Amino acid sequence: MITLQKLTKIFGGRTAVDSLDLSVPKGAIFGLLGHNGAGKSTTIGMLLGQVWPTSGSVLVCGHDVTRDRHSALQRVGAIFETPIFYEYLSGRRNLEILSTYTAPTSAARIAEVAEWVGLAGREDSKVRTYSHGMRARLALAQALLPGPELLILDEPTNGLDPEGIHEMRETIRRLHRELGLTILLSSHLLSEVEQLCSRIAVIHGGRKVFDGPLSETRANPSRVHLQVDHFDPASSTLLAEGWITAVERPDTVFLTPGRTVGGIVRRLVELGIEVEGITREEATLESFYLELVKTARLQQPAAGGRPPALPPVQKP
Amino acid sequence: MILLQLRNELWKLFGKKRTYLGFVMFLLAQAVILLVFRFSPASRQMGRLLENNGYDMTQFLSPLTAATFTNFWLAVILLPLFGALVGGDLVAKEAEDGTLRLILARPISRLRLLALKWVAGAIFSMLLCLALGVTGLLFGQTCFPWGGLFYFFPGEAFAVFEPREGLIRFAGAHVFMSIAATSVMGLSFLFGCFNVKPAAATILALSLVFLSFIMMNIPWFNDLKPWFLTYHLNLWQQLYGEPIQWGRIGESLFILIGINATFFAGGVAVFSVRDIKS
Repeated sequence: MITLQKLTKIFGGRTAVDSLDLSVPKGAIFGLLGHNGAGKSTTIGMLLGQVWPTSGSVLVCGHDVTRDRHSALQRVGAIFETPIFYEYLSGRRNLEILSTYTAPTSAARIAEVAEWVGLAGREDSKVRTYSHGMRARLALAQALLPGPELLILDEPTNGLDPEGIHEMRETIRRLHRELGLTILLSSHLLSEVEQLCSRIAVIHGGRKVFDGPLSETRANPSRVHLQVDHFDPASSTLLAEGWITAVERPDTVFLTPGRTVGGIVRRLVELGIEVEGITREEATLESFYLELVKTARLQQPAAGGRPPALPPVQKP
Repeated sequence: MILLQLRNELWKLFGKKRTYLGFVMFLLAQAVILLVFRFSPASRQMGRLLENNGYDMTQFLSPLTAATFTNFWLAVILLPLFGALVGGDLVAKEAEDGTLRLILARPISRLRLLALKWVAGAIFSMLLCLALGVTGLLFGQTCFPWGGLFYFFPGEAFAVFEPREGLIRFAGAHVFMSIAATSVMGLSFLFGCFNVKPAAATILALSLVFLSFIMMNIPWFNDLKPWFLTYHLNLWQQLYGEPIQWGRIGESLFILIGINATFFAGGVAVFSVRDIKS
């Protein structure tokens, strides 16, 4: 549904997106994950033909966006981080205006979509009287009006309260389940991505640092917390004997692939080291993401770049 | 489809209160100027001027005369202001508010979007001039009986017209005035296509118009007048000339059409390569 090849965008001297390759298969809920300023919105801008790539290609629904934007966006709906509309017009008029930029839309279709998103009864009120949640529904309605196959959601839960976030999450699930839409969800909220997406790509400093199924992010069994009387000699021995690959003080070791926690315990007991506790860290998307970003930050200075400041990972 | 999209642009434009600022200000200005004229020595002075030149003042102190001199300075000063205000808003305000990003997530081309917005701006300019003419006449009607048109510009023009011809010339002048208003709107529209605030686009356009006006009125630049934009924007004043200089009107019209096409093409060129970001 979406194919990006060597996509690069340079603003002035700053590389916002760097040689990005990405493929979003039809029917997926694909998460584009990265901190603020990582390049997600620029990538989405290029997907929609709003930002011109410096190099590389963008295919949406099989059409090159830079050459045939009209065909590429015919069946695409998009929602941006802040739902902005013509405040002085009614919700219905906003929908009429925005849908006509794709194709003439009947009043019945507008009523149907307003009903679907839960705006029925308020569509004739001025948008300035809408709550943030209602604006989010209106944003969803305008995205659904052209009957999209692909829905691009750029930080769709920004500014919503917990109830609104939950509602939006359920709506995204419903869209996927009932309408079979392909959804590209850009977010810096890990839990949101974790709960919705089947596949993710992580962008850091404009570069893709991970692309794969969400299940892969949880398959990180190597991190083990080890509590022993004397951590340093125990970990040194395990390292020397190849049980572990790395040590992180004060109590963390990284298992060598193929080795087990049980094996380490047996070996420590054989060595006469009393094991007070040993816990394999449960891999979460958060730990996976932080590890990825940490590695990426360490690699960047070597490439001559200055590592960008890492914002805190937010939890809803 | 294109008509529906134009309807959208008009909905957006005429849905905003600030769009009506020009209409309201013109109404107020016309009322104030006319009241001062009617109840001050100014109307008697105009009457004396007519009688000294052998005309019956009661036939020419009319709604047409009152509306013409009321609208003269409004068209020279205020019309560019409101044309520029709306022209600057058309693209730049949408970019500033973020709605432009919402539109450009749709498969409409940037050229088409700009063309629709420009046409909406031109329709606004024409309606503004129409309203200026109609309300001028209506206000005049409340103060003076119907009669001929007297047009006087110290040192340049003195002309009287019978009511029918006066009305035709008054209407024609407002048609050409709308072309001038559209041109100022187009200049502001051009600046609005850059990545600037709407106010900046308006101020830039007005600055250029006023600079042109100032330079045109410097006596040493008299020979250069045809090179100034305001010289051609004032083409509507030719409709009150006796005889009408159709050659001069045709030349200005041709130049204004060229200037408008250039402003629009410039706007399209700038806007087409712009990155639209949040």
